[in-house]
Amino acid sequence: MELFLQSVVNSFIQGGFFSLWAVGLVLVFGVMGVVNFAHGELVMVGAYSIWVLHAQYGLPYIPALCMAVLLVTTIGVLMERFLFRPKREDPLGGLINSLGVLFILQVAAHVVGGTGPAKQVAPPFSGTFVIEEFLRVPYQRLFAVAVSVAALGLLWFFLTRTRLGWSLRAMAQDREAAALQGININRTSMIAIGVSGALAGLAGALMAPMTSIHPHMGHNVIITAFIVTIVGGIGSLSGAVLAAVLYAFLHTFVTAYISGTVATMSGLLIMVLVLIVKPTGIMGKRVSE
Amino acid sequence: MTKTPTSVFRQRFSRRRFLGTTLAGMGAALTTGLPKVGLADAKTVRLGMNIPMTGDYAPWGLPGLYGCEIVAANINAAGGVKIGNDTYMIEMASYDHGYDTEKSVQGFKKLVLEDDVKMVMMLGGSTVASIIPWAMRKKMLTTTLLPSDITPDTEYLVATCESHPLYNVTGVEWLADKFPEAKTAAIITTNDIEYGKQSAATYNAAFEVAGIDVVDVNFHGFDVADFAPIVSSLLSKKPDVFCMATDVYTTPIIEQLFHQGFKGKIVSCTCDGYLDVIAKTSKEFVEGLTFQFPDFDDPALTPDKADFPDPAGFDAAFNKDHAGEWSAVAWEYPSILLNWIEAAQAAGSIEPEPVLSAMKANSSPAHTFGPGKWWGADLWGLDNAVVGNWPVVAINDGKARIQEYRSVYDWLQNNAGVLKKHMQALDLRTV
Repeated sequence: MELFLQSVVNSFIQGGFFSLWAVGLVLVFGVMGVVNFAHGELVMVGAYSIWVLHAQYGLPYIPALCMAVLLVTTIGVLMERFLFRPKREDPLGGLINSLGVLFILQVAAHVVGGTGPAKQVAPPFSGTFVIEEFLRVPYQRLFAVAVSVAALGLLWFFLTRTRLGWSLRAMAQDREAAALQGININRTSMIAIGVSGALAGLAGALMAPMTSIHPHMGHNVIITAFIVTIVGGIGSLSGAVLAAVLYAFLHTFVTAYISGTVATMSGLLIMVLVLIVKPTGIMGKRVSE
Repeated sequence: MTKTPTSVFRQRFSRRRFLGTTLAGMGAALTTGLPKVGLADAKTVRLGMNIPMTGDYAPWGLPGLYGCEIVAANINAAGGVKIGNDTYMIEMASYDHGYDTEKSVQGFKKLVLEDDVKMVMMLGGSTVASIIPWAMRKKMLTTTLLPSDITPDTEYLVATCESHPLYNVTGVEWLADKFPEAKTAAIITTNDIEYGKQSAATYNAAFEVAGIDVVDVNFHGFDVADFAPIVSSLLSKKPDVFCMATDVYTTPIIEQLFHQGFKGKIVSCTCDGYLDVIAKTSKEFVEGLTFQFPDFDDPALTPDKADFPDPAGFDAAFNKDHAGEWSAVAWEYPSILLNWIEAAQAAGSIEPEPVLSAMKANSSPAHTFGPGKWWGADLWGLDNAVVGNWPVVAINDGKARIQEYRSVYDWLQNNAGVLKKHMQALDLRTV
């Protein structure tokens, strides 16, 4: 019972991260039609920013977190302006450009952090929230979950209650029709990748005190984000969040009761099954040509 | 008293004696400001390092190059090393294979054919397996940190320093002696054959010999983003000892142990980043955490125990130039370099074959923690690994300190069969 309850808690925490990872990827794909392979590296940059600003230069965690978000947002915006926009009509070009960014960011991380062991950041919120001695959650994780939920709530509000959000959704549904309605494609694309970058930066900054930071940490992120995106339904934000939580439960429970390797395999297997049985994913919509 | 060939060898070619002379010479040269005698006439011998300097495995490559450069610079500053009738300056030639087998072959050939190195130091695993056919044909002296790379056909491959993961038996043996109340253990390790499973088999054997029951072994991949579920699962078995058989993820795992309220003993293969662990947990929580790799400013690395020149000075020099990049290989590759010098002096030659012959002729070869023995035939079919004493390290008041030296060789003499049984149970190659 203790393991079961602890696994439920672990699942919700993982679900928060998986959501942050996947939603940014979905947003860029939905609005811009670009598969951003560098998304995991944007998360990595967020984590490295915390290591540099907070752990190395002593900036308090919250300002460092804000700066990490700002930095990754800026990188995202620059990617849109100089890499994705010129290749707007060429989805393969955008994908290849994103692969280039992936390698550049990994090398940049090596340059900034050196090639020694993975970097560690001491948690700014130390201690553990204990319920009845058998259910334990570190305060840092509680903080991360709270911020993740708040960020996703803000995103939902932005997308459903603001004009800019409506523009994003309109572009995701039909770019040409949106343009004909007077929506500025360039500006909306920049906002989409800016929001995606902000979420990636936030995820990295939140993860930094809880994980090992190294230039290749983005691999996990992108694989998980792809699984969640495909299972949730490509282009569906609510599908991504739902799939993230479901996948987190599956991954956590299989890891706890069987093995981590089987958990990863199950995730990939489910992704393949979804592609075969329901290619639109849980909440994706079929699009007619 | 009769002098055996070994004792004569050790007396004439002791590494400590050579380095003592070298360091004294260096001190004299530096203090008098005189021109370095013989430098103009010195030849150069290149030693190769075909190692990962980028990528995930870089921490087990690059610090070793830095360490070798420090040792080589010290030797060269003192006038070089006399081998046969010549004096040689030591030059390191390196190649970054990024732990890629194809690049490893390219790097090995480049070092041998273009750089004319006389020995190639490597990390081990698949990158060594990939060069074996060519290296053995070329009769190139090659070193590995993983003695499990040795096969009956790898005559020119030796493991003279780290005998990963055999030394782990000493930590378990020490723990069982000091904490007899520990009756059960859980092991966590990576699921690879090169490091994780070798280490798990060794720990399984060590725990069996120590009378500690292993209640669970978790093999995880290299894609774990969150160790909370794995640690929860292992702790649900209520182990007295939590054992980390590989070191890639020690910090996040120990952090989880801390948050999930583990109260037992922690034993780990390595814990180079223990200061990070303390920062993420507490000094009290990691008190007594046991592992196998000392800091080199440890006062227990005395000349009678450690066959390494001025460990504290080396530690200071490394951390001055490469702060934050220390890992165990920082001293392991230099230790192999010193093994080579000793053997080359004994052989009176820098060529790989005579140097290897001199190495193998020494039945009590120098080892970082005292004289060792050639071993390996029982497990891998060839006595090409040097095993000797190894330190047991534990955290005391926030600092890693050597608790005791124990003999890996003695343990293997008594328990090689148990180890072999556990290796075979995990489908690992044995003879």
